[in-house]
Amino acid sequence: MASVSQTVRRVRVRPNYETIAWKWMRYSAFAMIPLVWGHMILQDVIVGVHRIDLDYVAMRWASLFWRVYDTLLLGFAFAHGVNGLRQVLNDFIHGERARKVMNWLLFLFWLIITLIGGTALIAGVNRAFPLS
Amino acid sequence: MSELKTTLAGYVTYRGREGHWSFLLHRITGLGVVLFLTIHIIDIAFVYFNPVLFMKAIEIYRSTLFGVGEIFLVFCVFYHGVNGLRIAYLDLFKPQGWHIESQRRSVRWTLVIALVLWLPSAFWMLRNLLIHNYGLFGG
Repeated sequence: MASVSQTVRRVRVRPNYETIAWKWMRYSAFAMIPLVWGHMILQDVIVGVHRIDLDYVAMRWASLFWRVYDTLLLGFAFAHGVNGLRQVLNDFIHGERARKVMNWLLFLFWLIITLIGGTALIAGVNRAFPLS
Repeated sequence: MSELKTTLAGYVTYRGREGHWSFLLHRITGLGVVLFLTIHIIDIAFVYFNPVLFMKAIEIYRSTLFGVGEIFLVFCVFYHGVNGLRIAYLDLFKPQGWHIESQRRSVRWTLVIALVLWLPSAFWMLRNLLIHNYGLFGG
């Protein structure tokens, strides 16, 4: 076998937004394997969408454990996802100004959706809502 | 516009074999998952903001079209997870492991592991779909 070339070079980079985002994508991966796979196998495979309704969500969120679990999911997965989207868009958007606008729009997108999800997680199932 | 074309053309015509394929798969699965995740956070938020709409969303999720989409979604999450672990482990703890030769093997193994994880889930979800939407297996 031909000898393989070494391509590793140690460099010192002062921490900045991009290095933190780079690390975030990788460290959050380890947390999300049990969180996301566990959630998906339980809800999509074992329980299944045909058995999920308001009562099911209410029963699940009656337990603090599952609310904390879902909060962790929301925090890890969505931030990982939006930053991933940012990485993809960076391939297509090159201008400095355009990237600045893109970063702000994505940040707002992340913040708004996270707040919407977080509100529901804290408030729970709304029984007062007029159900037909 | 030309930037878009250049980048997309590069995605398609670059001939990097396994590394190229896993890059594309990682992106496609990631984009698919984040698209669903956005919709999913909003539909779950409906349990508080508008429970009627929540049940409408659940009804749509129970359709056969979405059921099949859900099966592919599970593949996306498994593949993205296994491949993400490979990337995170190498980048953070073993950067000297980034060799083309060994990574060509790793990429193939990544796909095999993802498929092995996915197949039992896909089988069970398809079974659930056939039971509930087509009355098969005594549904």
